[in-house]
Amino acid sequence: MAHRLEITLKQGLPDAEGEGIRQKAKNYFGIEIDRIRTIQMVIIDADFTPDQLSIVQREVFTNPVTQRSSYAPLDEPFDWNIWVGFRPGVRDNPGATAVEAIEDVLGIRLRPHEAVYTSKRYCVTGQGLSEAQMDRIAGGLLANDIIQQWRIISREEWQPEEGVGIIIPKVRLDHTPTVTTLPVTSDAELKSLSDERNLALSANDIPIIRNYFTNPDNVGERAPVGLTDPTDVELEYISQARSDHCNHNTFRGKFFYRDPVSGEDVVEDNLFKTYIQGPTLALKEKKEWVVSVLWDNAGVGRFDDNHNYVITGETHNSPSNMEAYGGAITGIVGVYRDPLGTGKGSRLIMGSYGFCVGPRDYDGPLTPRLHPRRLLDGVIEGVRDGGNKSGVPTPFGQVTFHPGYMGKCLVFVTALGFMPATVQGTPCEEKTTSPGELIIMSGGRVGKDGIHGVTASSEVFSESTPAGHVQIGDPYTQKKMHDFLLEARDLGLIQFITDNGGGGLSSSVGESALLSGGCEVELEKVPLKYAGLDQWEIWISESQERMTIAVRPEDLDRFMALSKLHAVESTVIGRYTDTGKLHITYEGKTCAFVDLDLLESGFPQWEFEAEWLPPYQRGLNEPVLNPPKDYGRLLLDLLSRPNICAKNWVARQYDHEVQGGSVVKPLGGVGRDVPSDAAVIRPVLTSEKGIVFSQALIPFYSAIDAYHMTACTIDEAVRRLIVVGGDPSHIGGVDNFCWPSIQYDPETNPDGKFRAAQLVRSCRALKDLCMAYEIPLLSGKDSMYVDGHLTGRYGESHKVSALETLQFSATSLVSDVKNCVSMELKAPGDLVYILGLTRNELGASEYYEHLGYIGTRVPRVDTEGSKRTYTALSQAIEGGLVASAHGIYRGGLGVHLAMTAMGGGRGLDIDLGKVPVEDGDRDDVILFSESAGRFIVTIDPKHREAFEARMAGVSFGKVGTVTDAEGRLTVRGLDAEQAGGSTIDLRVSALKEAWMAPLGELI
Amino acid sequence: MTEINALVLTGYGLNCDMETAHALSLAGANPHRVHINKLISGEVDLSNFKILVFGGGFSWGDDHGAGVVQAVRLKTHIGEALLRFIDRGNLVLAICNGFQTLVNLGLLPGIGGDYTTRSVAITYNDCGNFRDDWVTLRLNPESPCVFTRGMDVIELPVRHGEGKFYTDKETLFQLVSNRQVVAQYADRSGAPAEGKFPENPNGSLLDIAGICDETGRVFGLMPHPEAYNHITNHPDWMRSKELNRRNGAGMAGGPTDGIRMFMNAVAYLS
Repeated sequence: MAHRLEITLKQGLPDAEGEGIRQKAKNYFGIEIDRIRTIQMVIIDADFTPDQLSIVQREVFTNPVTQRSSYAPLDEPFDWNIWVGFRPGVRDNPGATAVEAIEDVLGIRLRPHEAVYTSKRYCVTGQGLSEAQMDRIAGGLLANDIIQQWRIISREEWQPEEGVGIIIPKVRLDHTPTVTTLPVTSDAELKSLSDERNLALSANDIPIIRNYFTNPDNVGERAPVGLTDPTDVELEYISQARSDHCNHNTFRGKFFYRDPVSGEDVVEDNLFKTYIQGPTLALKEKKEWVVSVLWDNAGVGRFDDNHNYVITGETHNSPSNMEAYGGAITGIVGVYRDPLGTGKGSRLIMGSYGFCVGPRDYDGPLTPRLHPRRLLDGVIEGVRDGGNKSGVPTPFGQVTFHPGYMGKCLVFVTALGFMPATVQGTPCEEKTTSPGELIIMSGGRVGKDGIHGVTASSEVFSESTPAGHVQIGDPYTQKKMHDFLLEARDLGLIQFITDNGGGGLSSSVGESALLSGGCEVELEKVPLKYAGLDQWEIWISESQERMTIAVRPEDLDRFMALSKLHAVESTVIGRYTDTGKLHITYEGKTCAFVDLDLLESGFPQWEFEAEWLPPYQRGLNEPVLNPPKDYGRLLLDLLSRPNICAKNWVARQYDHEVQGGSVVKPLGGVGRDVPSDAAVIRPVLTSEKGIVFSQALIPFYSAIDAYHMTACTIDEAVRRLIVVGGDPSHIGGVDNFCWPSIQYDPETNPDGKFRAAQLVRSCRALKDLCMAYEIPLLSGKDSMYVDGHLTGRYGESHKVSALETLQFSATSLVSDVKNCVSMELKAPGDLVYILGLTRNELGASEYYEHLGYIGTRVPRVDTEGSKRTYTALSQAIEGGLVASAHGIYRGGLGVHLAMTAMGGGRGLDIDLGKVPVEDGDRDDVILFSESAGRFIVTIDPKHREAFEARMAGVSFGKVGTVTDAEGRLTVRGLDAEQAGGSTIDLRVSALKEAWMAPLGELI
Repeated sequence: MTEINALVLTGYGLNCDMETAHALSLAGANPHRVHINKLISGEVDLSNFKILVFGGGFSWGDDHGAGVVQAVRLKTHIGEALLRFIDRGNLVLAICNGFQTLVNLGLLPGIGGDYTTRSVAITYNDCGNFRDDWVTLRLNPESPCVFTRGMDVIELPVRHGEGKFYTDKETLFQLVSNRQVVAQYADRSGAPAEGKFPENPNGSLLDIAGICDETGRVFGLMPHPEAYNHITNHPDWMRSKELNRRNGAGMAGGPTDGIRMFMNAVAYLS
């Protein structure tokens, strides 16, 4: 029988979780609650003796100092009870570790039908609280009906001896695994099958698929293994592999690009080849440090003679949009498997995050599945637990607010790994599979979770999107697997390794089998979370924390012994062959038998109409705007804007010191609270060499032109590397595109042609900037359906699309980390310089957005001028001439002067007349234009000559000096006389107050 | 001098083992990263080591209380061996998750030589969240702690969601009178934090960040000395570098405060 243990904190101990919920209920919903106490519930679904029960109660589940517990309901007072537990089949991490602890302390093994489940009971006390309010808190704060269930019990209904009862979320499928054969007599029939089964097959692919299965040769080959029409295993396999997520059909598509104004009319055939692969291969020739690109799970660059670093970036938008915590933790833990599956395996050394959500204080009529504020809380916590529990530092990231992300949020996760140059004498970045090698699955088990995740993320989010693909990552299981696999790698036991992500086994085995030329898989060998999965489900399930490894038969025993030592489950599920066939059996019976190269051949390119309209054709103009008078007030208001203000509570939740190599932290300055330009880590603790990492995201400029959005984003990422001391001759890039749908449809996507043109222009800028700055693209991903349908006030539904968004991440190296420079002002009397030209480029700036304008003059990157600046600055930094350096980014010079002052806790005395400008003759232009390629640099006066000599050929101006600690930010404008002396004169503490005001208090 | 072998536990979600081993070798010890199961199976014998480090991380995901499941596993399988290790006069350093494990094992506070009773707890931060920040610590010159000899006020990073030191009044009184309170959170001037956030990042009673047993050979703390293994780990290092330059000084040399703790251990055993 099942036993229910309730555990809670002793009276008098503060319940931080309960208190947090109480405050959110007040702040988010205006519900006044006196007190919330949390009760942990553990359901032990096993036949235990009273002795066994009291041992686990005492040894495992109850801290004698802080907790009390009971197998009968605890007598915690309440007016309302909210019970929250998982739905059947949802990953219950504490339940799983409870089993380990119980088996250990009792020296037993639970039987197959026995298990442990965890849930929570919240005891709520307060005056006149209603059931509706409890339901609001349950559904709006505590639980998400996709993965959780809840019950609300009033004091009247409460049965002291029953409590909430014993709820066991056990999966019972009572289903015999069956392979279904699907008739494909007509395209129409296959199309309707595709819709029924959510295969998301593209209409153009359907005839190719039918031809394959009706082709007499194939029919002849299939007969001997007992197959006629395609099985569901085969069609699901093809559907996964052909999905945009796995196959990048969009970037490999054909774009018919027209610009009616300029008359340009061209066919862009395969954006990936033209704008990503081409430039990167060309640069690989020039850059000896580029080790491996464009084929593996992550790109590889050389760190030093004995080590390479690897990097990749992912997004996990659709799942996070439905279940923020589960989606985000699955995203970060998932991207960490990419470096682990790169070459023969890499150790994780760093992660970063990028969150794009709707306005945190949104109170309009649209009703997204999760309010932006709750969604943000959830994704922050998901990446926190996923990253921290993986033992990987998260020293960089950003949060961006924009209404366009209410349709679908963006969750970017980037991962850096590290590998020895060679393993047992062979290059670590190389790997392959060979006939006869065993296919091994290591890590987690397979369940129904994650099925059709890939096809869902290739669709616009709607009510019909299957919730089944929302999972909860398990960093604990993966960390054990990570440690195990790296030891196996160093012993030379791994011939090939890749992760099970999108598409599950179907893609990891399918793709690795291409190298050997075939495979045989026995699906019944795959360990399952619970019985009753159909064969096709086992094959494509995206259950997390799994790697697929090729091991030589002679190494199997050592591999398995090591797996056991690390308490990791590993199973031989088949072997690689050279038959050219993907051959899947279940208990000896064939359920799939297709040519491996079926996917390589014959599928038609996707095609897109792309029509560009210049800004003025879209009704955009420069606003008619006379200069402001109260610049002080304006600056303070800009500092309080959501995309400028302090967001320190996010960075502080992320462990950025683990692994002991932290050099430049996410937050710096005297108050340790101002964001750094980039992160620097020292991955080899016995070396002084460092990796510099930065990322940038400026989607706002897409409102004018995605070409310049892309150019400015890449330029910002590069400047962030240079300004802390990164080497301009070693810059690696990662492009993460997140785009609204680009397939034109007069009804459902009327601006599809324009979105497609924006994508083409963005790719052109990507190539132009990468060639100019010599940035090979080490990795990249695209997520093409950032739209959602939100219900409005009258029940009508609105399509909400994101701005065309690119997150660009960049890496560099610094030969001696002790040369790195921070952004905050250092000493009074230091000279302040601006490097780079300021132009009249207020288009889509924070300043214009604040005043309600977009405008047309979007910042443009002058790569030639910038390259001179970047080289000069990096030489000055290496030469020890620079006291502080900071890039000028979103918000412009005014905002970023404030940042350096807040960082240093010192004042500035600035003369705008000395700022190097080109066609910018107004104070508001100089202060708030977001022109690219610029820096604020301060130096010790004694270095003036040497520094200015270094800057020969660079546009720079000596604009002022650093003042003392009690200082003010004093800015003297062009028309300072009219302004009565100085244009801005503010205490630095007042700047800090305004910047901290909106979100600075959050913890 | 004979080599001082140090054992750093790994596996089951522990994660600070590499930098901890690095810190030990900087201090002159000979570190070995050993999976918990190798100790349990007997493949590795504790008696070959003089220093045992329970390092940071998220053993068993920190489910059911940080360090709880690790303590259960170690107590069940090698509880006796751990007691003998301490009896032999060796050193035990427990950092963050290791500290949480030790109090659940009862190896700390070890009042009156009782190394099996759980009399103190390290529980959820009052701030309600995981927090990464550098803190200032006041070290107790009166304490017998081997690891903190000759050090007074230092800075180290904390990175935890469960770091609040809690116990009953009597135990607290005993710990103080036995001088077992080794490290307390302070403000940047070194004055007691007196519970103020963020100087005291978790609401620990008496600002307690670390305690030792009565012998001073078993030491547990929440902050991470191994994460301050290089001058560039310190949050202010770039500003200090620049300002030192102005008054002719170079970068501060010598071992960091984090490494000095490990050096104290080695010196004690030499």
